[in-house]
Amino acid sequence: MKIETDKLCKQFTRHVNDVNDRNGRKNSHKEDFFAVDHVSMHADSGEILGVLGPNGAGKTTLLRMLGTLMHPSEGSVYIRDDEGNTVTDPVVLKKNIGYLSGNTKLYNRFSIREMLSMLAEIYGMDKDATDKRIEEIIDILSMKDFADNRIGALSTGQTQRANIARCLIHSPKVYIFDEPTLGLDLLSSEAIVNFMKSEREHGRTVLYSTHYMEEAQYLCDRINMLYKGRIIADGTPEELMKQTGTSNLRETFRALINRTEGGNE
Amino acid sequence: MNKKIVSALYKKEITDILRDKKTILMMIVVPLILYPLLFLGSFVLFSSIVSASTSKSYTIALNSVNDTEGMKQYFKDNEKEFKYTFIFKDPEEGMKDSDMLDAGSIDAYVVESVSDNHPYFEIAYRASENDSQTAAGMVEKMLGRYRDELRSEAFADQGLDEKMIMNPIGFCLKDYSSNEENVGFLMGYILPFLLIVSILMGALYPAIDTTAGEKERGTLETLLTLPVNNMELITAKFFAVSTIAVAAAILNLLSMGLMTAFVADSMNMVSSEMKIDLASFLPAIAITFVCIIVFALFASAVSLCSCIMAKSFKEAQNLTTPIMLIFLIGGMAGMIPSLELTEKTALIPVVNIALLIASIFKFHFDLSIIAIVLFSNVAYSALAVVIMTRMFSSEDILFADSAASFRIIEKRSDIKKGQIPGMGDLVLLFAILLLGLLFLGSIFASKFGLWGIIMEQLMFLVITVFYAWYIKVDFRKLFHIRGFGIKALIGSIFSWAGIYVILMLLSSLLVVFFPETADNSAIVELWGDNPLWLIILSSALAPAICEEVMFRGFMLGTLENRYSAAKAVIITGILFGAYHMSLNGLILIGILGIVQSYIANRQQCIFLTMITHFINNLLAVLSARYEEAFTKALPFLSGEDLPASTVAVMALSGVAMLSLGVGLINNNKNRRQSSRESG
Repeated sequence: MKIETDKLCKQFTRHVNDVNDRNGRKNSHKEDFFAVDHVSMHADSGEILGVLGPNGAGKTTLLRMLGTLMHPSEGSVYIRDDEGNTVTDPVVLKKNIGYLSGNTKLYNRFSIREMLSMLAEIYGMDKDATDKRIEEIIDILSMKDFADNRIGALSTGQTQRANIARCLIHSPKVYIFDEPTLGLDLLSSEAIVNFMKSEREHGRTVLYSTHYMEEAQYLCDRINMLYKGRIIADGTPEELMKQTGTSNLRETFRALINRTEGGNE
Repeated sequence: MNKKIVSALYKKEITDILRDKKTILMMIVVPLILYPLLFLGSFVLFSSIVSASTSKSYTIALNSVNDTEGMKQYFKDNEKEFKYTFIFKDPEEGMKDSDMLDAGSIDAYVVESVSDNHPYFEIAYRASENDSQTAAGMVEKMLGRYRDELRSEAFADQGLDEKMIMNPIGFCLKDYSSNEENVGFLMGYILPFLLIVSILMGALYPAIDTTAGEKERGTLETLLTLPVNNMELITAKFFAVSTIAVAAAILNLLSMGLMTAFVADSMNMVSSEMKIDLASFLPAIAITFVCIIVFALFASAVSLCSCIMAKSFKEAQNLTTPIMLIFLIGGMAGMIPSLELTEKTALIPVVNIALLIASIFKFHFDLSIIAIVLFSNVAYSALAVVIMTRMFSSEDILFADSAASFRIIEKRSDIKKGQIPGMGDLVLLFAILLLGLLFLGSIFASKFGLWGIIMEQLMFLVITVFYAWYIKVDFRKLFHIRGFGIKALIGSIFSWAGIYVILMLLSSLLVVFFPETADNSAIVELWGDNPLWLIILSSALAPAICEEVMFRGFMLGTLENRYSAAKAVIITGILFGAYHMSLNGLILIGILGIVQSYIANRQQCIFLTMITHFINNLLAVLSARYEEAFTKALPFLSGEDLPASTVAVMALSGVAMLSLGVGLINNNKNRRQSSRESG
């Protein structure tokens, strides 16, 4: 299953304070700008697509629109199944997407098991399938010891595993991860990286954004470089390095941005 | 909407709320522990005061002119009936009675003097001391008894019939209301307030928890990843909060009811003659129960509506403070004797529930009004839920930092100069003004007549300007303070005159469909015999200034900053019509308000609309005051039985004047702008 976007845009309004006019009055005016500017992209099954870019490039906004948490100002997001049929209905999209970001916190007053069965009910899964799936997930993420503890009492690493469990419950075909390893220690981020790799082996689509270039270089099959709301480069890490004549992704990143800035001026 | 999803979400919300210790504390511990403690505490306090004050002795000094010892003996002989003892203390050497009173060694002293052969006793005491006050009261009673005895003796000496002279007629009060009615009256007095407060308290906390709390804990974004639409989400939250509010209200009621019964029982209040037939309250209790549910829906919807804008607990608490104040004031409606449940008051939120509960406990059942109250509450709640679904999909609210729309909550020194009020400010100000209109307006008008109307208008003006001053608005911009040229003035007057003529025609149409709209006898009655200048002052000049400042100033200025000019103008106009609180007002004054707002918006000048508003009201005053002369002089303005040709001419001239006026206004504006740009 592929996830694609077509000329996707998100417009925001910002207030700009004017310089004082002759009467000495302070005024402000509104100004529209594109946080995501006509982005057409695609992520295919069995592939990990990295979305890289500096702060404020529009990564989070783009991923939020892909996860249908945010409505696009223009353009559309859709998934395409293996027969080539496309779906744009947000509810259907959400049923097929597992979305994880630093902002998706869990309900502290529930245990992992309670949370999972609550989610399964909302996803419309039947009782037997739910129970089976929950045991499966607890097994995969080895959470047996703390599956019945309240989430508020778990450690950071355990919470992160619970968060992954949340994305897994409805067996989605597409994963969208917004900086999933941000602020985690080596072991916890390794667990997440391994999880993404294993999902790729199962033919799932993984979209992921990060600031850790080494991680992206090692993990991603393909990279989309986002800058000022536009995609300025698309290719495998090797292709991008070759294009810019650099030896690692960190330098590639810098070179690509410099090239764009230079081109603009 | 998928019922399964809503029920899953509802279960989740309820579990989440109930697992929060703070909610449990507010919901269960407070009513179940605090009320009994309060009741028992005050009961114990009361009974200890009662037992302490029986069989107590008081020290007094007594000086009679000729028979001090005889007086003391009289006091001693009669004190048994009062359950008190008097101890007499003679002044010590070199000490005056007043010194002893000051020193606290006596509770009161009595000095007799004689003027014109008439003995006169002065009882000196200190009202600030409990014992002194009681002692003085005792002495007063004792002297009263002494006086009565002397009087009886005097009558007997003269051989007169004391009873016939002192009480030539007898009378007494006899209360024919039943015990149930008395209790109902008392219940109607306090119950609405207690219920409204406990329901609001029950709703507020979970409302904050499920909205701002969810944002603060970061679970909102998680929730948005689920295949759930806004309607399902809001519905689940709304019903969960309502459930908790109903539960809290019932817990509160039970706790209060049990405690009252317990206290009443232990104080032996339930003697045979005070017996109350509780069954007679069953209909009232049943309706109250429905009221609780309906009002819980309303309170939940309102609290959710405001909490949804907040990004944190603290902000939510700030946002809900005005709601709390409005609910508290509205809850007291049941205690205002002049406020009755009518078809009009049945539409006012909060107040209507308070009045309904008060009236059913007085055994007044008016089914149509009960239906209006219940239906309007459900309708308001539904409206609020729809607004919330809209708001909830707004990404400003979901992802933006904050919707800080209530500036008045901030400290004045923190507010920057040159503000334009937020939507919250606008809603809050007009809620205050509406409450003022409903509660104070009628009182002012009935007490002070036309001056009351002027006072009311001035009060609104002061509140509006104060609010604006407090949040440091840009006065010139918000209130559209700007000079105007002669062309703009003519344009405004033409626009007004045009719409006036068109509205005359429309109103004669409306009279056909809604006959009650033509009734303006109430205001004419209020004018009475007052001089014309006072009528003009109160009904034309004061509204022209005050209402323009409120609507074309504060409201229009705020809305212009937020919405497009067209939207701002139309909303201001319609609300201006609604403010006049009649069907007639909503349509005709609403249209007039739109034209007024248009003038103010295009010219950015409030003085123009003040002038047209004044002319408009002046014409209304004169035409009502001199109805006959008016109908004779300008028959086409009466609007009755007009020939088709006159209607056509009026419609045409109205449209012509309106378009001429609008043309002038816009033309003038353009010229002004271009001259400004080039200069």
